[in-house]
Amino acid sequence: MATDRTAEVTWHGDLMSGSGRVDSVTSGAIGGLDVDWRARSEDAESKTSPEELIAAAHATCFSMALSHGLAQAGHPATELKTSATVSFQPGEGITKIALQVTGNVPGMSQDDFRQAAETAKESCPVSKALAGVPEMTLDARLQG
Amino acid sequence: MPRVQREATVTWEGNVARGSGAISAATGAFEELPYSLASRVETPDGKTSPEELLAAAHAACYAMSLAGELAGAGTAPDHLDVHATVTLDQVEDGSHRIVASELLARARVKEIDADTLNRLAASASAGCPFTKLIEASATVTVNATLEGESDGD
Repeated sequence: MATDRTAEVTWHGDLMSGSGRVDSVTSGAIGGLDVDWRARSEDAESKTSPEELIAAAHATCFSMALSHGLAQAGHPATELKTSATVSFQPGEGITKIALQVTGNVPGMSQDDFRQAAETAKESCPVSKALAGVPEMTLDARLQG
Repeated sequence: MPRVQREATVTWEGNVARGSGAISAATGAFEELPYSLASRVETPDGKTSPEELLAAAHAACYAMSLAGELAGAGTAPDHLDVHATVTLDQVEDGSHRIVASELLARARVKEIDADTLNRLAASASAGCPFTKLIEASATVTVNATLEGESDGD
């Protein structure tokens, strides 16, 4: 079954001096987020940007895929902490995504954890959708 | 222009079916957004999902790109409304794939005709970095209309 999720954005004025807002999304989880070009390409000043939302989407998707892989391998995670950093070069596009994950996974070796994380990075739908990003890195380690 | 980095952090607890996560943005624009498998593929119930965040990213990216195209043509918009709908679907091998992102734009712009708007709307999608990327997996469609415009007759 296909699942749709919609977001609504309003923009006023031109690109350089105008401003916009992510008004609402299907779930209602976010809304009223300001966006503008300066915040996107220079100092964020507490404003989000397409690249930050992509980072959030990728970290989210990766964490789910990894938790699934670990449970299937008989080692469900107690906790996973993932960060995604998206690099944006204005005029060129998104040049790199760096994923970093720390896991609390009872009874698992570092090597197996790294392998599971690599598989999650390859298989999660957002990774596939972003396969055109020139560089995608992964740093996976177990806690403690 | 220097390279820009934007970071988000997710904490996940438990397995995929019954576990849950929380998403925070490094800028502080949003914090501890809850999400789960159910919110991703069933009823959102107030929780976000990767695809919803991609829809927000695409709408935000496209709105900026369209504002840039319109301003470049000498017709900066008074107001743009952009909706992006991202579709996640199960494909033949049983895996999930992001198959579509549909952009709907409504523009309030002085002195522009529908043909010019359509042309700029298409080049705005081509120029939006996110469109270029997601086309690896999804079909991107663009539909732009002028707000409050009579047909000019």
